[in-house]
Formats: sequence, structure tokens, C-alpha cells
Amino acid sequence: MAENEPKIISFLCNWCSYGAADLAGVSRMEYPSNIRVIRIPCTGRMSPKFILAGLNQGADAVWVSG
Amino acid sequence: MDVESTPIPKITPRNEKVAIIGAGPAGLTAAYFLALEGFPVTIFEALPVGGGMLRVGIPDYRLPPSVLEKEIRSITRLGVDIRYNTAMGRDITIDTLMADGFESVYLAVGAHASMKLNIPGEDTDGVITGVRFLRETALYKRKTVNGHVVIVGGGDVAIDAARSAVRMGADKVSIIYRRTRTEMPASDEEIEDALEEGVQIDFLMAPVEVVAENSKVTGLKCLRMELGQPDESGRRRPVPIPGSEFVTPCDIIIPAIGQRVNPAFLEGSDGVELTKWNTIIADPISCETSRKGVFAGGDAQSGPWIAIGAVAAGRQAAESIRRHINGEDLKAGRDPIEEPQKDFNTIPKNIEQLPREHMDRIPMQNRLSGFTEVEKGFTEEQACREASKCLNCMVCCECYECVKACGADALTIDTHLEKPAVENLDVGAIVLAPGFSPYDPSGLDFYGFDTLPNVVTSMQYERMLSASGPFGGHLVRPSDHQEPKKIGWIQCVGSRDQNNCKNSYCSSVCCMYAIKEAVISKEHAGDDLECAIFFMDMRTPGKEFEQFYENAKTKHGIRFERSRIHTIEPTAGGNELSVRYVTEDGRMLNELFDIMVLSVGLETPPELVDLANRLDIDLTPGNFAKTESFNPVATSREGIFVCGAFQGPKDIPQSVIDASAAAAAAGEMLASARGTMCKTKKTPPETNVIGDRPRIGVFVCKCGSNIAGVVDVPSVRDYAATLPHVEYATDNMYTCSQDTQDIMTQIIQEQNLNRVVVAACTPKTHEPLFQETLINAGLNKYLFEMTNIRNQNSWVHKNNPELATQKAKDLVRMAVAKVALMEPLEESELSVNQTAMVIGGGISGLAAARSLADQGYETHLIERDSQLGGQALNLYHTAQGDDIQRNLSQLINSVEKNDIVKIHLNTKLTNVEGFVGNFKSTLTSGDNTLELEHGIAVIATGAAPYTPSEYSYGKSPDILTAIELDKKLIADDPMLNKLDSALFIQCVGSREPERMYCSRVCCTHSIENALELKKRNPDMNVYILYRDIRTYGEKEYLYRKAREQGVIFIRYSLDNKPVVVAKDEKISVTVTDHVLGRPMELTVDLVTLATAIVPYGDEQLANFFKVPMNENGFFIEKHAKLGPSEFATDGTFLCGMAHYPKPIDESIAQAKAAASRAVTLLARKTIFSSGTIAEVDPGKCAACGVCVSVCPYSAPTFNEEGRFAGKAGINPVLCKGCGLCVASCRSGAIHLKGFDTDQIFSQIFEINEAV
Repeated sequence: MAENEPKIISFLCNWCSYGAADLAGVSRMEYPSNIRVIRIPCTGRMSPKFILAGLNQGADAVWVSG
Repeated sequence: MDVESTPIPKITPRNEKVAIIGAGPAGLTAAYFLALEGFPVTIFEALPVGGGMLRVGIPDYRLPPSVLEKEIRSITRLGVDIRYNTAMGRDITIDTLMADGFESVYLAVGAHASMKLNIPGEDTDGVITGVRFLRETALYKRKTVNGHVVIVGGGDVAIDAARSAVRMGADKVSIIYRRTRTEMPASDEEIEDALEEGVQIDFLMAPVEVVAENSKVTGLKCLRMELGQPDESGRRRPVPIPGSEFVTPCDIIIPAIGQRVNPAFLEGSDGVELTKWNTIIADPISCETSRKGVFAGGDAQSGPWIAIGAVAAGRQAAESIRRHINGEDLKAGRDPIEEPQKDFNTIPKNIEQLPREHMDRIPMQNRLSGFTEVEKGFTEEQACREASKCLNCMVCCECYECVKACGADALTIDTHLEKPAVENLDVGAIVLAPGFSPYDPSGLDFYGFDTLPNVVTSMQYERMLSASGPFGGHLVRPSDHQEPKKIGWIQCVGSRDQNNCKNSYCSSVCCMYAIKEAVISKEHAGDDLECAIFFMDMRTPGKEFEQFYENAKTKHGIRFERSRIHTIEPTAGGNELSVRYVTEDGRMLNELFDIMVLSVGLETPPELVDLANRLDIDLTPGNFAKTESFNPVATSREGIFVCGAFQGPKDIPQSVIDASAAAAAAGEMLASARGTMCKTKKTPPETNVIGDRPRIGVFVCKCGSNIAGVVDVPSVRDYAATLPHVEYATDNMYTCSQDTQDIMTQIIQEQNLNRVVVAACTPKTHEPLFQETLINAGLNKYLFEMTNIRNQNSWVHKNNPELATQKAKDLVRMAVAKVALMEPLEESELSVNQTAMVIGGGISGLAAARSLADQGYETHLIERDSQLGGQALNLYHTAQGDDIQRNLSQLINSVEKNDIVKIHLNTKLTNVEGFVGNFKSTLTSGDNTLELEHGIAVIATGAAPYTPSEYSYGKSPDILTAIELDKKLIADDPMLNKLDSALFIQCVGSREPERMYCSRVCCTHSIENALELKKRNPDMNVYILYRDIRTYGEKEYLYRKAREQGVIFIRYSLDNKPVVVAKDEKISVTVTDHVLGRPMELTVDLVTLATAIVPYGDEQLANFFKVPMNENGFFIEKHAKLGPSEFATDGTFLCGMAHYPKPIDESIAQAKAAASRAVTLLARKTIFSSGTIAEVDPGKCAACGVCVSVCPYSAPTFNEEGRFAGKAGINPVLCKGCGLCVASCRSGAIHLKGFDTDQIFSQIFEINEAV
């Protein structure tokens, strides 16, 4: 990625947002490739530590969706 | 392409010799296919040349001998030997051939003899038959003709002879034919060519005598004819005109009136039988003659026919001869070759008509002076243009492009050749679920569906809204792809309509889908889009539907117009549609729309009517499978069940309910056979990998071109191989294909892998498949991680292959890091108690209990009242007219008599513990309590009638609720016979702001009772005051009948309800009529209030089973569409009016459905929990109780005994693996197996490598 390209880490709930991301593919939508998805069983699984770790590892943004 | 230079396939030589008689198209074809099989083939040909009629029947100017000879050489080069000048019957016989060691003989001698005119003088010099004339010409025995040539006949041979005679120098050539040009069998093009070349054709003439002088032809005496009545062939029969004889002077007469088989070939051969026309008798499939091992085909067997027919026959004969020599069945799996093409693809309307391409021809002077081929063939451009006219109407042209395109080798030439086959299956029950067809509005010209592109059906509109639809999910006007500003829906197209179609029923689903389509359209296009629905009655009687309708009006601003549109007309610009209609207040309006959607109904297609006839089951007047109220999924024939829209027009939830019910009905019949035809799957023992260093295998999927078309798969694979612990990395064309699974199993074992990563599509669909592969390889299925490089990568970044490849590498790296930390997980096995509990002894509870018991499971039926029957005890007749009391008592009787149903009357449920498979419930009856252990529970607690406070209820004995009227009907109360007038008020307590749902049954119920009152006293004035009449499905017939019988329907609105006042003996009702728009007072003897159905809203019961209720107090099912008869909580099921108000047939269907769903659990005996669940490390647990309080499934509890008493523990059966407790645990004591903290961190840590 170029310098001005943000690095985004996302935590997607297996039951909704992860499925929605699949559907975006099935629908042949397009979006920038800056995102790296980590599938979690439920956003209930999210811990603040994951967000902090993501930022600490150089992510420019963390997106939790569920 | 040169046919002689094509490669010769590898042929395995065989010893068995085959003799073929005749080197025409049939004989040559048979020789070709037999030679490919390796048989030595000898063809015996009477003529000095090969090709048969192609050589000596078709003149050279149509088929040059050089072309034919090349084709023949392509066959002889396979080793086929042709012996010319060898005639059967003269030089050889079948017996001499057999004696020479030929295993089989194929008779393909053709039809080279001519029909005779049977007129005097036919043998005179100068008379020569057409076939002979053409043969001698082809063999160059006759090179010129002189004088006037007369040809008799109207077929291709006559034309060929005439055109040949022209080329050979005849002074004049004429054809005489006894009918007219219209009846001539020769092809039009040939006739045109002959006329062009100067041939004269004389119609309506028939020869009667050859005129000769000195034994030489000088003329032909003819008769004139006229056309009479048609004969058997449909052509008009020529009738001679008496006294019209005349003589045409001529020098040569060529009769060309037909060919026949010369039977001389059978001289000296026995055992081959002929028809009376001398054609050979052969089996239509095997081509075998009456003599074993001797086969026949081509013109000699079929009579004179086209060359391609002989080619086909030759190929079939080759197959038979191969089978004969191999000793196989000659006919198995074969059909006669003359199978007419069926199932043509529909030819689209409005196809542009283009003229045919015409081949260039040689100049006329060359045509008249020699036998050079006339047509020069198509140029490449012409050939392409002509080919592009193909309408593709044949279902398959066997181009095999599909075989080439299928990268997975699922479609091969062999599978492509598979044909429909008839199989017999022994079954105990049949379930019919064949569905419906959407009504085709093509015939309705006033809607312009055929001509206006912006008029679409609702089904087409569904596709237009779909992301995979014709416009990629972008809502546009079909004619010009502009975004629409205004869309209208017309309801009841093909439903509730006896004039334009025969569908007088209501299709049940259209109101709701039209609202849904309008709401989705607004969501797509935003507030600028205007949506209007034109309807007769708005029918939204389903669960949550009324609220949806209300929201559509108030929140989405969708306009509802109660009006019937007559005509849709185009506008001058062509894109907009003009719609004229009358509003409710009588104004005539003209409105423009961009798109008009026709809400088409559901109907049974004719082929399903045929199916019903074949199966001998009865249909309703609307052509749906006939069922009874108390047996809603059983057809009229025992053992045949029905579900879905073939039982009646219905929506998805009702279809799913029916489907489960039909399965239960079949299961009841076949309970004794349960588990008798099962196979047990064998899996290898699980390898212990604990403590082993990770050895990871990475499988990167190409998914055909879905991934490989964007992502550089080989580079991802090579990158994966460099990652820590990766021992093996590969790529696959389709990782999910069966053969790849087998290969993966082998690789895992050979490479001794103990962790697997698949980079492919989405784990949501494919994870279980790959986990199965791990099990088959002896690995624990949780030693697996799947990463999504298709749906979330190649498909969404298709224009950025480099970045997509980089992302795929990152995703693989993250997955590898995580899988290295995976440990084998255990799934707890849990036994399922085989006892069922049904709560509620009404119709639904009774039906559920009976179904469970009939399927072999002990069932406890709990009823709070002192008798079984519930609300049905107060009901009179069903919509189909069935007597409810009689049927109910039969149902109760059958349950009471059933040994394995235990009935608990006057009993309440006072406590429930446990979980799926192992519930423990406390039943209390008076002072007695009973602990009941059961594996599943069915909630069938029903609902109650609303007690009205409105409409002066209670102020007069003549103001009743619907159930009170039913009670009087059951009791045959004498007051019913004294009535002169009666009035029903609908929606009492339903569809009100505080109860925003429709009670579904009341419209039908009131109409039914109105008809009952009319039956008792036809002169009675009966009024029904309603808001929308909701007689969905075939209940519509009752509504029509009521109107026919004079029941008066008056519509009122919610904001202007009727006013009821009890006055002395009579009751006064004032209502504002929607037609007159003025209040009017009706004085009647009886008022019946169609009261709402109100749920009990039993919070305690909901808490016992941890099942939810909606705001009205109805229980919420697992899934509104796909899980209507079960709860999200495992082991608990739902049916009847506790779910939503419904009539008896639907209650019984849902009761059976709940039983069916329950049996899927009971039949398993044991179940496994998931391995990805939370687990407490008791050493770290601070016993704070947060996990216990946050878990929505009550999985964590405090241990009551043992070493860790007081600490939290998690029940693996109840845990859904959401991780809420893990995140909330302040001590870090809870681990979520499969998604543990270190595993998620490992994925996060790999992010920093991402570029």
C-alpha cells in the first residue's frame, strides 16, 4: 500500500458482518483492499485488548462490526 | 479441413469379419464405425463405384464425384475393403458369406428399381426409367440425349432427370405432373432451378399410353386432370376430365414416379423376410432381420428416404453388430433413431426477420452445357451470417463446449450423453412438493405486458431488485435504464379474477410481497422514489405482517390506493406509462409511472394437473391438491402427502410448516421402518497430536478462475511454504471437489500433517466440508483454519490483482499463525431422553402429541383445564364445512386410547430445569407434584378470545362474540330461527394501535356464519361491516358465495367505526358506507363481534424454556421464514395459536411440524455439542459471577460441589461459543476454545507485516 493508504484491522461477527462481507463478494461489490478481517464468533468476544493490540501493531484504524 | 488428413484414432484389431452388402451411405457408415471397433469389414457392391444413390442417383452438378470419393477414401483408409461389381443374389449369398467366415452380414442394398407407370407401350424403345437414366448418366454410359424429352413425375428424381437431360443437349425438356405446383414433392429450390434452366412443367396432366411408330416412341398420350377432394395424404386428389385426351409428341419418355427395392438380392438366401413392398423387415431398435446375425438398413429397409437417414441407420447397425459379435443384449439402453425432437427452447417473440444467404452460382451457359457443380458454396462471411441466425431452439446441439468449459471435469462426454432413465423405487409414502407457476399476464392486452417494456411482473421485479439480477441490483427503468421516479403495483393480476383467467381464489402472498418490494425499492432509491400500490383488499393476515403494512404507510410513505386499474397505456415519449383510475372518493385521475409491476398470482401449471391425474389424487376447484381440515397434508390417496403451494397458494413460513408436517405424516406411517436402512460411516481413529510440533499443510484454492483470475495463486502458495511450521503447500483447481478431498486426506497422512489451512471461499459454507476431510485423515477437526480469499478478496478487489495477491498472502500468514496454536477439541456427547412433553391440550397440542406417539415416542400431554379440546370445543364448522365437534372428539379419542400418550389434566407446569435432551419439569396438579424427565418440549398453549368493551357488548343478549354465536349454532339455539336480520362487525380488537395484528380467521369465520344464517333463513338480511376482507387462498370462494347469496358487505374505516346501540328488542348500528359516503342506520336482531385472538403472554413459561415473546405476547419462533415451528433454544418447539392466530388446518399442520422437528432430535438418541465453547480455568476464577449474569444461554453456573465448588463452571451443552463471558471475565479465567485470546492475538500480531 502507498504511504497515504490506511491499514485497517476489522473484527467481524461470524453471524452477521462476516456473512455480510461474504455477500458483498457474492454481489460483486468492490471496496479498497486495505482491510484485514479477523473472524470472531460474536462481538461479545471483543476485548479492548484486541483493539489496543491492533493499534499497537501499526493499524491506522480498528473496525468492530457485529 | 481435409477429411483424409484427420488423424486415425488408435484401433485395436479384432478377428471377427463383417460383410456389408452395398456401398451406399448406410453400408459405408456401418463399415466406418465397425472399422473403428477393429473389425475387418468387407463391402460387396454391385456397381463399379461406391456411394450408392449419392453417386448414381444424385447428379454430379449437385454432388461432384470427387467430393464423394474423398469421403469414401476416408473410410477405406481404416482398412475397409470394397469389392465392386459383386452383386448379392448373383455372385454371393448370405450362406456363402457365412461359410467364408463372416460373423455378421449387413444388408444395405438400397432401392434402385423403379416404379412402373402401368400404361400400354411402357416397354417401347425410348422409354427409360428415371433411376436408370440417372445411373447411366452418372456412370457415363449415356452422354447425350436428342429431341424432346418428357419426364413423368413431380419428385426430386423427376427434376434431377430433367436438369440432366438439359445438360446432355436435349432440344426440349418437359415434366408432366398430374397435380399442381403446390402439391409437387420436389423441393422448391430445385423446381426454381429447373425452370431457370428452361425445363417446362405441365401441371394437371397424366399419361395414359405411350404412342409409338416403328417400335420407337413418338409421343405420349395424356389426359387433363382437375383437383378433387383431398386424399389420405391431405393433398387434393387429381380427377381425370373425361374426353380430354391429347398426344404430346416426344422422343424420350422418362417415368420418375418412385423407387422400390429389387428383391433379386435375396436369390439363394433364406430366412430374411420382406414386407409386401419388398422392403426388408428389421427390428426398429436393433436393425436385426428375421435371420439372426443378419441386419438391414437404409432404403432397402426403410423404403426410399433421405441419405442422412441411411447414415443414421448404418451407425445403429454398427452398434448392433458389435453387440452381436460380443454376445451382448442388442437393445439394452437404446431408443429408435427416429425420435422426434421434443422440448424446443421457446422462440422469443419479435425476432427480426432476415433473408437467407444465397450461394453464388456458376454462369447459366456453364450450367446448360455440363455437369459442373452449380452452387459455389458460402463465403466465410456468408456462413457466419447464416449461422448467426440460429435461434438455438434445440435444447442441445452437442457442440460439447460445456465439456471443454468445465474445469472440474464434472461434465464429461460420458455424463453429457446420459439420458433420462426410468427407475423403480419401493417407497412407503410419497410427499408432493412441486410448487407453482407465477401467473403469465401475456394475454391481458389492457396491461400491455407484451408490448410495454416498463410493465413487468412481480417475479421479474424481484430479479430487478436482486444484486445478481439483470441490472446488477441497480433499480432502473427497463426501457432506457434511467432511475425511476415513480413505481406502481397492480394487485390481484391472475387472482380473484374469473373474467380474464380461471383463478377465482386469492393467491395469499401478493399483498405482502408487493409491500415488501415497495419498501425495498424505497430503501434502494431513497425518498425521491414514489411507490403506489393499487389494491382491492389489503390482505396481510400473517405474523408481523400488519405492522409491516402499517410501517409501509407511515414510515416509508408508500401510497395505498383502493382502486382497480383498467388500462396501462404508453405515453408519447415511450418511457413513461399512463395509468387511469378512479379514487375512493370518486375522482377520475390520470397518473404517470415509470414502472408498473403486475402482482401476479400463483397457479398450478398444467403439468402438475397431469401429475395429479397420474397419481390419482383429487384437486380443488383451483387445481390445488385437495386435503381436509383435520388432515391438512394428506391427499385423497392414502400414503401420498402434499406440502407447499401445490396444497394451496401460500407463503414461505406456511410452506415450511407444511413440509415438516408432511414429513411427520409420512413418519407416522413408516415409524416401524425408522433406522432400518441406515449406513454407519466409518472413520479412522484420531491421531494424538498433543505435544507435537506443528506440521502445517496449506491448501490454496483457485476456485476455477474465481480466485486464480485475480490472485496470483502460485505465488501465494510459494509464499505459504516459507511460513513457520508450514511443511507442505499446494494449490488446487477446486479444493472442495470430491477428488481433491481424497487427495488432501492422502497428503495429510503421507506428510504427517497435524494442522491444516485452506485458503479458499468462506468458512460459513465450506468449513464443515474440510473438517470432514480432517476427520477422514484421522485428525481432530478443530486443527483447522480457513481463510477467505474469494468472497472477501478476489471478488471484491477484481480490478487490483496485485493488492489482492498481497492481501491473500497476509490472510494466509494470519491463518497459519492461528492454526499453529489450535489444539484438538472435544465435543461432549449427550444422550437424548426419548420422552416428549407437549404443553397444551387444544387442537395443536393434541395433534402434536398424537404425531409424536404415532412416531413411537412416549408423550406427556399437559392441560391446565379439566378437559381436552381447548378453544375448538366452542367452534362449529371449519372453512371447508367440516364438523369441528365430531372431528375433535375423534382426535381426543385417538389420543386417549394411545398407550404411550400420558394425559395430565388440571395440571400446571411449575418448574423446568435442564436443557436439550435432558429436561426435568415439575408438574403440579392440586396438591400433587410430579417430576417429569423429557428430552424435548412442545409449547402449544394456544390463545384466548378478546373480551370486547366496545360496541355495547354486554348490554344486550343479542350482541355476541363470534365464539358465542358458534356455541349457539352447536346447540342449535331456537333463537337463531327467529332472526330476520343479523350483522357482523369485523376487526373487533384486531388491527388497532394497541393490537397491531390481524387475527387471521375472523373474516372467514363471519362469512361462514353469515352463510349459515342465510341457509337457515334465506330472506334474512345479513350485513358484514369490515375493513378489508381477508379470505386468503381458496377461502375466497366463501366470500364470493356470500355476495352471490345477498350478504351485504359494508366497509368502514378505523377512524370512523360503526356505532352500536341496543334499543328494546332491536339493535341499531350506524355505519358510514364507503360508496355513499354518508352515515346510515341499520336496525338488526343480532350483532356478532368478530373479536380478536389474544395470546396468554405467559412470562413464566417463557422463562422456564428461555424462549422469547413479541410485544403482543405471541412466542417468537427460531426464524420467521425457515424455522416457524421451533425455538432458537434447542429442544423446544412451537405450534398453534401460541405462535399466531390460525385456523384449525394450519394449527394441525404446525402441530405435526413441531412433532417432526422434535423427532429429528429424538431419533438421534445422542447429540454432540460444539467444540468451540468456553471453559473456565477454576484456578484463576474469582467467582465474581459476571459470566453467570451476562450469559444469554445460562451456560455458566457456580459449581455446587467438588474441588472447585463456588467457582464458575460452564455447561458445554448450553454454551453457544459466543465469547461474551470470555470478554467479560476480569480474571482472564475463561478461554474460548478455537477463538482463544492467544489465537486472536496471533492474528493481530501478523498484521504488522502487512504492507
